[in-house]
Amino acid sequence: MAGALNPKPKDWALALPLAAFFTLFFIAPLGLLVAISFETERQMTGTLGLGQYAAFLTDGLNLAVLRDTLLVGAKATLLCLLFGYPLAWLCTRVSARWQAVLIFLVVLPIVTSVVVRTFAWIVILGRHGIVNEAILALGLSAQPLKLLFSETGVVIVLAQVQMPLMVLPLITTLQRIDPNLESASQALGAGAWRTFFKVTLPLSLPGIIAGTILTYTACVTAFVTQSLIGGSRLLFMPMMIFQQAMDLQNWPFAAAVSVIFMVSVLLIVAMLVALSRSRAARLYS
Amino acid sequence: MTFEMSRRGFLASAAAAGLAFAPRGAFAADELVAATFGGTWANVQKQILAPYFVKRTGASVVQSPMLATEQIAKLTAAKGNQPPFDVAMLDEGPALEAIDAGLIAKYDLAKSPNFAALNPKFQGAYGPAITMQAIGIAYNPKTVKTPPTSWDDLWKPEYKGRVGITSLASTLGLAFLLDINRLAGGTEANMEPGFKKLKTLLPNLAAVSANFGAHGALFQQGEIDIGVQNFNFAEELKAKGVPIEFVRVDTGTPAWKTTMHIVAGALKPELAYAYVDSQISPDVQGEMQKSPWNVIPTSSKVPYAGLVAQQIAKTPADLDKMVFFDWAKVNQNRAAWTQQFNRDIRV
Repeated sequence: MAGALNPKPKDWALALPLAAFFTLFFIAPLGLLVAISFETERQMTGTLGLGQYAAFLTDGLNLAVLRDTLLVGAKATLLCLLFGYPLAWLCTRVSARWQAVLIFLVVLPIVTSVVVRTFAWIVILGRHGIVNEAILALGLSAQPLKLLFSETGVVIVLAQVQMPLMVLPLITTLQRIDPNLESASQALGAGAWRTFFKVTLPLSLPGIIAGTILTYTACVTAFVTQSLIGGSRLLFMPMMIFQQAMDLQNWPFAAAVSVIFMVSVLLIVAMLVALSRSRAARLYS
Repeated sequence: MTFEMSRRGFLASAAAAGLAFAPRGAFAADELVAATFGGTWANVQKQILAPYFVKRTGASVVQSPMLATEQIAKLTAAKGNQPPFDVAMLDEGPALEAIDAGLIAKYDLAKSPNFAALNPKFQGAYGPAITMQAIGIAYNPKTVKTPPTSWDDLWKPEYKGRVGITSLASTLGLAFLLDINRLAGGTEANMEPGFKKLKTLLPNLAAVSANFGAHGALFQQGEIDIGVQNFNFAEELKAKGVPIEFVRVDTGTPAWKTTMHIVAGALKPELAYAYVDSQISPDVQGEMQKSPWNVIPTSSKVPYAGLVAQQIAKTPADLDKMVFFDWAKVNQNRAAWTQQFNRDIRV
């Protein structure tokens, strides 16, 4: 990847405005966040140490919350992939006009406010919501299902809310696959499924990984959806950070929790990137 | 100021820069920015207090809905710089924190003619109490046939999976926990009995809302049939046609003051005083006591009337019989309780 293009020295100047913007509004605040996380006192007296990190890591509850947050993101991302892949595939197989319609529908969730969407889901998933009314009417269950304030509910809503982040990269990748490759595969005797698993799926792996990274990071940090759909009995990392920073005004601890959370998510992203590199290297060499 | 101090101040302000970034220089000359709570409070203050204030001063006011803790975070972040708003509205616990942190100014009685008419227990040195919040049980009369009378009713087996409470982020949830703790023999220094009791409520809980706003919606959607609720909020829902009834519990009604304050270093102190003074004026409090708001007045010039008289208090002495908590002690332990609460209620 790197070294494919050889930018002239002056070309770097083009990136300077953005670099300055990022340094000022992203790197600097991030540095401050890390600095605050080393404050040992809630009042931020200037005594530095690893006390906040130790406090987090020695409490089983905190670790369980971290694990649950990373897991709920994985579940929602998997659901996004399962539903999103066929949709993306469909988008590349229809006429240009239908493709425009489908992409519009895919993007629609992004243009609605996340709060509005989440409240709509509360209405849908509630005891007297559409889903439960239908289930009761069909006699599938005698009691309404507990979808709201359950992890199932959180996963369903996260998958819908973040779906565009999965589908859009997939469409891009699937469109770039040469249709001749699939025809060749079928001409050589492979069935539709075999063609899919041996040709289409491996070639779309970069899109899957890009979509997974975007969806996953969005899902694990989705404060509004997690807290409104999950309620307080399902505690996830963003809510824990909010509790410490806002309810309890314990900024050093909140900062340490944020850093730990960020590093955990970055590790997962790094693993996905490593996966994409190794697979891609094998496929394209 | 030592280097240490200024560095700390810088860290603190920069830390929450995202919370309070916008400078206020661009505001019109006569515009006051005042904090309010969300929901009912934002509505009642917009409809009654704002027009009264505008008429009295000729200035305008922007009312910004924020949780009490959010106000404290923003004021802490802006400490040493221009505060993002001039009037704070807080519950008792957060108010003590704000006083300790030097975020709000001593209240100058000379600038507030209506202050003297307040019932003495509502005359805080750092600002007046503008109402009392009283809590009890709200229930859906369609599904709950026998009106509840005590907290113990929430534990009845027939309400399995039908009860709603809030987390400790809301004073509502905190006061409920404090009260069941008190009834189980605990004190603000010993919350074990309360937490023990709370654990036995878990099978009945349908929801623990992350905040007060989300809690109110649960009654409307039939998500819960019975739960802890503020008096005014329940009555407002009822006035809107939601099937909900409010009852006080027979062990005494837990209550706390809601207060208003002039922020330290306020940009428009004169307007801020006029605003707070308007809120404690008999005219505004008289209007706010009417349905659907039912805000309990604190001015001695406003006799209790309507639902407030029916449900809460006929005379100021009735308010004294309510159950109050030691918020200074509560503040000392809130962090530990929050962690314990997280642990105990986790699914």
